[in-house]
Amino acid sequence: MPDSLAENAGENEHNGPALRLGHLYPDQLNMYGDRGNIIVLRQRSAWRGVTLQVTPLEIGEPLDPDAYDMLFIGGGQDKEQDEVARDLREVKADGFLRAVEADMPVLAVCGGYQLLAKYYHPAEGPDLEGIGIFDAWTIHKGKKVARCIGNVALAWGESTLIGFENHGGRTYLGSGAQPLGRVLAGHGNNSEDGREGCVYRNTYGTYLHGSLLPKNPHFADHMLRLALDRRYGPGSGLRMLPPLADTEEWRAHETMLRRLNVSPRSHSFDVARTS
Amino acid sequence: MKQPTPVTASSGRAHSTLPPVPRDRVRFRIRASAAIATGRAAGTMLRRLRLGGGTSLPGLVARYVDPHVTKHLGTQMRHGNIVVTGTNGKTTSSALVTSVLRQAGLRVWRNREGSNLARGIATSLMAHAALSGKLREQGDAAGVFEVDEAAFPQVVAELQPRTILVTNLFRDQLDRYGEVDTVAERWRDALARLPATTTLLLNADDPAVAALADARPTGSPVLYFGIEDAPTSADDAQRVHVVDTRTCPRCRQLLTVTERFYSHIGHWRCPACGFARPEPAVRARQVSFTGLEGSRFVLETPLGQTDATVHLPGLYNVYNALAAATAGVVMGATLPAIHDSLERFTPAFGRGERIAMGDRAALLLLAKNPTGLNEVLRALGQDEAKHHLLFILNDRAADGEDVSWIWDADFEQVTGKIASLTTSGLRAYDLALRFKYAGAPPDTVEPDIGAALTAALAHVPVGETLYIVPTYTAMLAVRGEISRRGYAPRYWEQKDA
Repeated sequence: MPDSLAENAGENEHNGPALRLGHLYPDQLNMYGDRGNIIVLRQRSAWRGVTLQVTPLEIGEPLDPDAYDMLFIGGGQDKEQDEVARDLREVKADGFLRAVEADMPVLAVCGGYQLLAKYYHPAEGPDLEGIGIFDAWTIHKGKKVARCIGNVALAWGESTLIGFENHGGRTYLGSGAQPLGRVLAGHGNNSEDGREGCVYRNTYGTYLHGSLLPKNPHFADHMLRLALDRRYGPGSGLRMLPPLADTEEWRAHETMLRRLNVSPRSHSFDVARTS
Repeated sequence: MKQPTPVTASSGRAHSTLPPVPRDRVRFRIRASAAIATGRAAGTMLRRLRLGGGTSLPGLVARYVDPHVTKHLGTQMRHGNIVVTGTNGKTTSSALVTSVLRQAGLRVWRNREGSNLARGIATSLMAHAALSGKLREQGDAAGVFEVDEAAFPQVVAELQPRTILVTNLFRDQLDRYGEVDTVAERWRDALARLPATTTLLLNADDPAVAALADARPTGSPVLYFGIEDAPTSADDAQRVHVVDTRTCPRCRQLLTVTERFYSHIGHWRCPACGFARPEPAVRARQVSFTGLEGSRFVLETPLGQTDATVHLPGLYNVYNALAAATAGVVMGATLPAIHDSLERFTPAFGRGERIAMGDRAALLLLAKNPTGLNEVLRALGQDEAKHHLLFILNDRAADGEDVSWIWDADFEQVTGKIASLTTSGLRAYDLALRFKYAGAPPDTVEPDIGAALTAALAHVPVGETLYIVPTYTAMLAVRGEISRRGYAPRYWEQKDA
C-alpha cells in the first residue's frame, strides 16, 4: 500500500460507524505536515468510536463522489503542482465538482487551496488552471516580492484559528466569495485585504498548516460533524462526536494566540455559517 | 550529458592522493590584516562581556572590512580545504573526516559547531592567521569546514575548496531554505562554477545528491559512497512517509526503488532515462546495529576491505562514517588509519553525545528535521529497553519557525518504548499533541527547559540514562543547563568542537 495511513481502507463497517476520507495525491502533495491533519481526523474519530477509512487518490484515478464522505488535498513542491493540476482538471474535476455541489466536506490546504481556485499565475511561465470551485485566483508577484511566511491567527466565527503560512502567491477573492476568516495576525490570502482562505458550501480552502487541525480541534470536529451529518442524517455529527477535554490542544492554541498578542475567543465549534 | 569520472571500488583503481596545493603568492594584504585585527577585537569583546563564544562575529566584522578575507586565507591552506554540506550529518561527518585525517598524520583545522555560515568559516580561518594576513605554521594543514546548505554557494565561491562532500538532501526548514529542488538547483549552479580539479564526494544512495555530478565538467573527479545492504523490515517500508525525492533528477519521471533504507535513501533507478544509483567507490555491506550504541559493517574501499565499527546510533551514522572514509581515501589515509579513527571516534556535540550527570547520564540526540528525527525515533524504537525521554522543540530561526514537520515524523515508533516522557521548549504543547495523537500523552509538559530537565531527571533511576531529543537551539539551551549544573563543558571551550 502506498501510504500506511490508508490501513483502514476497505475494512467493513459492521463494527460501528465509519467515515470514508479520500486523500488526494498523498505522494505528490505532502508538504508542511499535511499528514498531521489526517492523523488528527482519524484519532478524533476513533476516540468517539468512529472509524476513519483513508483512501489515497493517486494520479490517474477518477474520483467517485459516492465513494467518500470527505476529501483532503494538501500542498506540494512547485514541480509536483503541475502534474497534479493536470490530473485534477482532466481526471478528477467531474467527480470533485459533483462532490462539492452535494455538500461533501472538503479541506484544501496551501497548494491544494490554490488548485481549487480559478488559476495560479506563477512568477514565470504559463498560468496554471485550477478547477474553479472557489471564485478566487492567485498571483505570484515575482521572486523579489517576499513570501508570506509566519504564524497566523484568524477570527473564525465566534472563535479563532491558528496556523503557520508559507506561500509565494497572493490569493484574491471574487466579489461573491466568502473568506474562511478575518486575519488577526499574519498575512492571510494576500497580506492586503485582511482575509484568509475561502469557503464554498462545505469546501474549505486555507493557507494555514502547522499542522492545521491538531491545534484547532474545534475545526477538526466541525469537518468531521459535517461528514457525519451528511452520511448519518442531520444532528448525527453532534450526537456521534461528543466534546473532548482537549486540554493540550487549547494550551497549544492559546500559547500561540498570546505570542501573537491576540485575545482568546470562544472554543466553540458552533460557527455562524457565512453562506 | 557531460560525464565526470567516477572511481569505483570494483575497478580496484585507487584514486591518487591529492598533492599539496602549490605555494604561490601569499601576498601581504593590508586590508586582510585590518580585517583580522578588527574581527578579533570584536570576538574578544564579546567573550569579555560574556555574550557567547564569538564563533561568528569576528568573521562577520572581518568580511565587512575585507570581503575577500576568506579567499585570501583559505587559498593559503597547504593541503586544501574540504567543505561538507547536506541536510543531515554535516557536523558528525566533518568530525569523522577530521578524525580520519588526523589519524593519517595531517594537521586539521575546522570550523566550530554552528559556525557554518560564511562568517563562521571566516572566523575559523582567522583563528589561525597572524595579523600579517598569513596563516600560522605556513598553513601546513587541511581545512575541514561544515557549511550550511544555503550558505554553500557563497562559501565555495570564496573558499575554492579542493574537495566537496555532500551527505544528503532532505526537506529542512522550508521557511528558511525553500523546497528541496530549489536547494539542489543552487548547489548545481555553485558546483558548475568551480574548477575541474575540485573533487566531489557524493552519496550514491540519494538521487538528488548523486545527480550533482551532472553539474561538473567531463573528467572532473567524483567518488561515490553508499550502503549495499542493511537491515530494513517490511514494517519500515510501510512506514515511509517522508520521501523528499521521488522523481528522477534528470528527467522527472518516477524513480524505481529496489532498496529503501530510509526516506528516499536507497538503491534507485529511473525506468525512463536509465539514470541509476552510481556504483560507490566506498561502501558498507552487512550493516548490523548494537542497540543505540552503534553499528558494525564491512567497509569496502579502493584500498581494500575491513570490518568497521562506529559508536554512533542509527543507519544515518553509517553514511557519515562512509563519507569520512571516502574523504580519507582521497586525502591519502591508509585503510588501518580509516578503520581505527572510525572505531575510536566519540560523538560530536549533541549528536549521540553522552554526558555523565552524577549518578545518572544524559544522551543527547539532536533532531532538527523529519528524516533526522525519524532516524532517532527508529533507533529508540528498535532498542530492547524502555527509555526515559525528554523531547524539546523550539521554533527560533535556527530551528525553523514552522513546526509542521513533527507531524511528518513517526512518533508511533517509540510509543511502546517509553518509561517516562517530558516535553519542553517554546513548542512544548505542540510536541505534547504529537505524542498524544501517537497514543502516548506525556507525563510532564514544561516549556521551561531548565524546569523540564529537572522534572525529566526525577523519573530516571540511579544508574540510568535520560534520552534528550532537542532541536538545534534547544540542544544549545539544554546543554547550557547541563553545564550550569557542572556536568558539561561550555561549547566554545571544547577542543575542535
